[in-house]
Amino acid sequence: MSAAWRSIFTYNKFAQITARAVRQSLKEEQRIAAEKRGLTAVRYQQWESGQGGAQVVLSEELAAKSS
Amino acid sequence: MLARQSLVRAASRAAVAPGAAPTGARNMATLREIELRLKSSMKMIASTKLAKAQRAMNAGKEYGLANAEVFEHASDKAGANKLFIVVSSDKGLCGGIHSSVSKATRRALANDVESPLENDKSVDPASPIAVIGDKSKNQLVRTYGSNFSMTFNQIGRDIPTFADAAAVADLITKSGVKYDSVVLVYNKFVSAISYAPAAMVVQGEEALKESGTCSRLDAFKAYENEDDATKDLAEFSLANAIYAALVEGHACEQSARRNAMDNASKNATDMIASLQMQYNRGRQAAITNELVDIITGASAL
Repeated sequence: MSAAWRSIFTYNKFAQITARAVRQSLKEEQRIAAEKRGLTAVRYQQWESGQGGAQVVLSEELAAKSS
Repeated sequence: MLARQSLVRAASRAAVAPGAAPTGARNMATLREIELRLKSSMKMIASTKLAKAQRAMNAGKEYGLANAEVFEHASDKAGANKLFIVVSSDKGLCGGIHSSVSKATRRALANDVESPLENDKSVDPASPIAVIGDKSKNQLVRTYGSNFSMTFNQIGRDIPTFADAAAVADLITKSGVKYDSVVLVYNKFVSAISYAPAAMVVQGEEALKESGTCSRLDAFKAYENEDDATKDLAEFSLANAIYAALVEGHACEQSARRNAMDNASKNATDMIASLQMQYNRGRQAAITNELVDIITGASAL
């Protein structure tokens, strides 16, 4: 029996979600230091036969999905 | 450096004193000051950033080494589908960092003698490529644009975090690109003044499952992992490898930027010295002309 999340996202996503939960549960001082390690501003583009698609900001995409 | 700045200031003051100096002399002197100060402050900024980046690189390398341990006994199928990930960044002014990685990728895809993949010369020139960093993307898009599967940017402005690497790995896995192994092309940190392009190979899930069949140890199979755990491990080790490559590439870039700024300030000071010579000659010629005018004028009275 495999966990329910495997069919929805990859292990890396799972690790990042759990890491975020741990970071948010830390005490104030440690939390501030840890939050810096969780920052990412990655933007990506899908490419089809030599043409780039729109640039998507990953964090904005996630925020849009969850809202 | 400070002595030179005060010398320049003294020279500019001496130049301004006689009223016959050519116009724009004062402007030229202050411009020179500004140029020197800019270059040296950029150098200082680059040095502090380099120290920080190097520390992060040393920490990140441990991840890469741990990764390599896992794959030591994995089967190495030649001719397998390879996904190339080119690790560079978005910012310039760092010497040949981006072109070194782009050229190494080109050599690998062309199975050149000097390909960063030393043992493996069976690369398919139509292999999918993912590029991290706009600079390399622009360099590769013309020749290998049709191979591009995904590109990423906004990584490397500050020290890359594991979150960056995990996001890249996640997107690549989700995009459904088919591969048996991943080749990460990045810059290896050789010393504070030199770097070299290198390739890191990360095996995919299949290779992990089959590992132990051709080596003396039945190592991985002995763990009797479920398929799920093997898939997780493959994905996680991809993120690990990307992180190690990102951090090392970032350290190389910082050192290259510092060296480039160093060379630029050296060239700037050389240029300033020769311009100063020219300027003095011009000033003296102007003074001589005025003196001749005055003397001829006086003799006419």
